Amino acid sequence: MGSAALEERSDRVTAAANFTGRVAASLGGLRRYGRPAGITALILVLSFLSLYPMLMLLYGSLHSTPPGIAGEFNLNGYISIATTENLVVLANTVGISLVKTVLALALAVLLAWIVARTDTPGRGVLEVLITLPFFIPPILTATAWAMLGNAQVGTINLVWRWLTGTDSTLIDVYSYGGVIWHMMQYSTPFIFLFVVDAFRAMDPALEESSRMSGATRWQTFWRITLALMLPVTTSAFILSFIRGIESFESAVFFGTPVGIEVLTTTIYHSITQRAQPDYQSATALSFAALALMFLLLVLQSRLLRGRSFTTVTGKGYSPNVTRLGWMRWVTFAVCIVFFALTVALPVGQLLLSSFFKFFGFYEVDMLTFEHYRNVWENSAFWRAFGNTMLLGVTGATATMALGGIVAYITTRTRWRGRRLIDVLAWLPWMMPGMVLGIGFLWGFAILPHAIPIYGTLWALLLAYIALGTPVAVRVTSAAYQQIAADIEECSRVHGAGWWQTLGRILIALAWPAFAVGWVLIFFGIMRELSASILLYAPGTEVLSVVMLKMWVSGKPEEVSVIGLAMLILVLVFRWVQLRFIKRRISTL
Amino acid sequence: MLRRRVLGMLAATSALAGPASAQTDDWSKVVEAAKKEGKLVIYTASIGSPFHKTVIKAFEQKYGIPVEMLEARASEVRERVRVEQAAGRFLGDIHHNGSTTTWLMNRDGNFQPHGPIPNIKNIVPPYEADDIRVPAEVISYCLMVNRNLVKPGDEPKSWKDILDPKWTGKILSDDYRALGGGAVFFVVTYDTFGKEFHEKLAAQKPVFSRDLANSERRVARGEFPLYLPFSLQNYNNLKGLPVKPIVPTEGRPYVRFDLTMMKGAPHPNAARLFMNHYLEPDSQLVFANAGYAPVVKGVVEKTLPEIRDLLATKALGTTTPDRQDAMLELAKQIYK
Repeated sequence: MGSAALEERSDRVTAAANFTGRVAASLGGLRRYGRPAGITALILVLSFLSLYPMLMLLYGSLHSTPPGIAGEFNLNGYISIATTENLVVLANTVGISLVKTVLALALAVLLAWIVARTDTPGRGVLEVLITLPFFIPPILTATAWAMLGNAQVGTINLVWRWLTGTDSTLIDVYSYGGVIWHMMQYSTPFIFLFVVDAFRAMDPALEESSRMSGATRWQTFWRITLALMLPVTTSAFILSFIRGIESFESAVFFGTPVGIEVLTTTIYHSITQRAQPDYQSATALSFAALALMFLLLVLQSRLLRGRSFTTVTGKGYSPNVTRLGWMRWVTFAVCIVFFALTVALPVGQLLLSSFFKFFGFYEVDMLTFEHYRNVWENSAFWRAFGNTMLLGVTGATATMALGGIVAYITTRTRWRGRRLIDVLAWLPWMMPGMVLGIGFLWGFAILPHAIPIYGTLWALLLAYIALGTPVAVRVTSAAYQQIAADIEECSRVHGAGWWQTLGRILIALAWPAFAVGWVLIFFGIMRELSASILLYAPGTEVLSVVMLKMWVSGKPEEVSVIGLAMLILVLVFRWVQLRFIKRRISTL
Repeated sequence: MLRRRVLGMLAATSALAGPASAQTDDWSKVVEAAKKEGKLVIYTASIGSPFHKTVIKAFEQKYGIPVEMLEARASEVRERVRVEQAAGRFLGDIHHNGSTTTWLMNRDGNFQPHGPIPNIKNIVPPYEADDIRVPAEVISYCLMVNRNLVKPGDEPKSWKDILDPKWTGKILSDDYRALGGGAVFFVVTYDTFGKEFHEKLAAQKPVFSRDLANSERRVARGEFPLYLPFSLQNYNNLKGLPVKPIVPTEGRPYVRFDLTMMKGAPHPNAARLFMNHYLEPDSQLVFANAGYAPVVKGVVEKTLPEIRDLLATKALGTTTPDRQDAMLELAKQIYK
């Protein structure tokens, strides 16, 4: 080989080395700048979804008039809420929410343990049945319970009087108890959905070690099972407690008639029940509540700091169950009683009533299929159904994708900006829906007309994503926290990239939680009214708006037909989801 | 920055809002122009009303102009109109809402003059149109009793009869301390019978509920024997149930719904045509048969017999927007 040829070859090698170096440098650059760019993009998206409407509301709370009307900045909104009356309302709200969350959490944890960790018969079916109440529109269960539990002619009281031969009243739903009971019907399945997969994903070796070391079944449950569930249970507790503070339907149905006022009924009063809507007070009151909720989050973060809750490790395990012996029939009975009280009774009442001309009037000559026919022939219903399905599927998928990324960054990285991302993703949960809806309305309407959001399905979709993100983040981050870091590291060591590890390790292991989150958000979208009523336009009606129209125009029977159809949809969704989970777990 | 932006939008608002006087006054030309506009957008606080839909369908069939409707509660409609106009978005043509909200929105400059409308001449007192507002239909308030629980001889004849001790704890009512029928009842009966009437009524311990449709059903099911104030048009939804509406001898409080043309309406001629259509006797008869008091002459006589007698009663009075907040405050003091 001549020297010229050697030189040429040497040049080629140098050129190739240079190219590789350039590629490596550019990849290094991408790595160096890609992450901050990604974080910035995520912060911008979350800011638009949550901070932007919140800033509109903050403006509303600090300005004498809402956006678009000349006025002045002042603190009158905050000054006006500092009254003894509002203190009583606040105490009422916190008290009611606390009691219902504690009771619902205890019940949900018990039910989740029964379903996921014991050999109770029919667990698969029970799991679906227990979650059903969450998916029934609150307005329908409120109507059903008003018929079942009113002091004068409620079915339960009539049966009680017939049985005892007295004139006494067994229950009265128009009371604190009624408000709490109605709220619990939603909180219990909500918390249950949150915690059941965490129970399932736990390595039973930890419980077995406890039992081997001489602990009783109760000690094991209390010190091992429950302690390991701390992130997921505290997350569920706080989500549920905050939702309780923002709850409206239960209080307005069963509290207002007997003088029980809560935060949301007071806000509702400020906005809709005065000649001049008082947005300044309403938003100021919401921000005061937000500050309170923020304290709770800080408390949760302190409670969990520095503790490890890893239960899903690289080591293989086979999820098994505790054998309860004859006690399994007791646990079975607990589930059945819960189902009977929260589903069978109210849904039975709705189902029965849907075949009669009027709710609660069971006479042969009033039997009819008219309500089913009316819904079937209602073109507005079908248009809204189509819109809602589109928004539900797209919204739930987008929200879970966003929530999955946010949760990963906040729980499994030490990247700069992760705390900001966490707070931004939380914000929408801490503002009552009816107030946040106004924030979206103001925010989207005021955008430049070239951005086609206001008056389109985009407005609804973006609002739904913002409202669902906190749930998506909580569900996935609780699941991520259970997965050991070594599995992820192992993936990286074997050459997988960030996205590959996220997709093939974390999401693959946490996907039952993803499925639950998806269903929660999908049905959250189906039920959402506060933002929908303010953001829909002719042609973009959604189911909740159509149901409100039917309700206000005196057609509760048709609303119940839609509610029952939604329940069937839930059953199908849950059945498919649980089948997949079962298949997945058997292959783990 | 925001303020500058808002002021800019306000400027755009006033520039876009064309005067209705520029519209042609020759009615056949209005009809022609309306058809050319090809669409009408209505914002209404009358949610899910089948009667509204009947009248709109007739309009669509008669003129071939499709109508789009945005239905929401009164305060929600108001806020949407306000923020849309502030942002320079002029999407709606007709606004249909209670007279109080309409009055407040008119004060805020959300409407424009509608121009001449032929059927306005048929409007009967005490209802009247002005250059902005056109009366649409009237909600009348009365009492409702459960026929199984209240014998004909025990039925209240006068508003004052509900003060009888036999009704203590047995009255279900819309809340007088919040906007709505309850507040209208409070204002009118306060003006007619004085404060003492309400102090005595407070002693009767009425139970308040704001879920109107459900309240009527609760009375029908026998939870309470007496409900007030009952919106007469809701009787249609309750036919077949053991309830009976009663208009007391003194008369019925009422509240008017108005039609207005929204500022910057993109289809102003279609809006005018619709207002005129709404005042046609056939349209008004749809509302009258449903229990709304019609606002034009020659309609009450043609209504269904069971409704005619109720509508022929005296209109006792209505609320006025300027003193509404003061009256709500007064109600709060009396009904603690």
